[in-house]
Amino acid sequence: MPTDTKRVRGPEVSQSPSLFSCDPAAVLPSKGPRADGRRRDQVDVRPVFVRCGLVSQAKGSAYLEAGNTKLMCCVYGPRETDRKDETDMKCGRLTTDMRFAPFSCPERGSWIQGSQDKDFSLMLHESLQPAICLHKYPRSQIEVSVMVLENSGSVLAHAVTCASLALADAGIEMYDLVLGCSMRQDGTSYVVDPSYMEENGCSSVSCENQGGLTVAFLPSLNQISGLQSDGDMTEETLTAGVRTCIEGCYKLYPVIQRALTKAVRKAAPSQSES
Amino acid sequence: MKLCVPGDKLCSSEDCIPGTGVYLRHGYIYSSLAGYVLRKNEGEELPVISVVRETETQLLPDVGAIVTCKVTSINPRFAKVHILYVGSTPLKDRFRGTIRKEDVRATEKDKVETYKSFRPGDIVLAKVISLGDVQSNYLLTTAENELGVVVAHSEAGAQMVPISWCEMQCPLTHSKEFRKVARVQPEYLQA
Repeated sequence: MPTDTKRVRGPEVSQSPSLFSCDPAAVLPSKGPRADGRRRDQVDVRPVFVRCGLVSQAKGSAYLEAGNTKLMCCVYGPRETDRKDETDMKCGRLTTDMRFAPFSCPERGSWIQGSQDKDFSLMLHESLQPAICLHKYPRSQIEVSVMVLENSGSVLAHAVTCASLALADAGIEMYDLVLGCSMRQDGTSYVVDPSYMEENGCSSVSCENQGGLTVAFLPSLNQISGLQSDGDMTEETLTAGVRTCIEGCYKLYPVIQRALTKAVRKAAPSQSES
Repeated sequence: MKLCVPGDKLCSSEDCIPGTGVYLRHGYIYSSLAGYVLRKNEGEELPVISVVRETETQLLPDVGAIVTCKVTSINPRFAKVHILYVGSTPLKDRFRGTIRKEDVRATEKDKVETYKSFRPGDIVLAKVISLGDVQSNYLLTTAENELGVVVAHSEAGAQMVPISWCEMQCPLTHSKEFRKVARVQPEYLQA
């Protein structure tokens, strides 16, 4: 495992002094309007900008911007697998990789994958695998790699959407697009598509019913392929939260469809076949 | 021309037969690619519906497909090749294949010498017989008249001319070399 030998890090238990110098303004109100003008308790997702065909070297690629969250995804494949084992003979293999650029978060990260990146990669894999027709690509490997350029909240949800767009742009057969949406429960109210401050800041109200939820959804087949949640939420909150996220996904769906059709039309403008 | 994205419901399976780029579920045909919807009347009762992207359709070597490959190494038991084209579409990533000694030609399989059939660097037309098992690559065969070496360079470096099904001659040195030559159809030969 590559370790970073050139940087001298402090001991693991030490923390940056800036953590302790938090000013009261950092504590977010759990009532009232959100910082960027969106509404609480409503399925108010940030407007999304997507474009396919960003990277010319990759088979398929997509770029997604939601508010300040910016990420891009590249898809390579189907390629011949280097390692072969029993399962490869009948269907293909999907490898996912999610990386955060060091400049993406308010605190500088490192280029080496931390445990959070590996966690996200696994969740991305779990969300994308049911949607791809892997049985049509025996003995092959499809590589999906997501790079987060700026982390401004609900990164996993947007990574799932961006990755499925890149897969469709690469011409890989899929059963359906996978859309992601996330929400954060704060006491009695919730916010959909939280920003970085809303995700990580904790409110001064009691800590019960606090948590986040990310859902990966297949809109046409009406199936959920990935669910990630952390925090402490009651059962009703969780089920209501899942339904809210599904609504958020349906709001994203027309934008994604339009971006894909635009990419197809750009790739092949005229169709003179009858 | 209608565009569609993966997951779009195209029609019911009673109206059309599913072609490429679509899948069947619960009696309806859904698209599995982002592209143009094509409805073709093949002459049977129902039209065939398929989704195409103009960019090169991703083709994987399939059993029974004729592939063009380049020999990378030979061995008394088999020859290893890189598959470059499937039919007439080039592959973006090369796949590896193997031509076993007994699949080089149809007759006298045990008397085959790979050194007299292929050399590294030859371009060979072959057919895929199997996707291979866990350890091996794609298995190919040249055991037909139309399969075998199409382009080969002699030891002097010039491109050789085929003389018979088992010999090729170098135009510079006039020396003959053994290869398992493919009988290319006359219409494919350029003047």
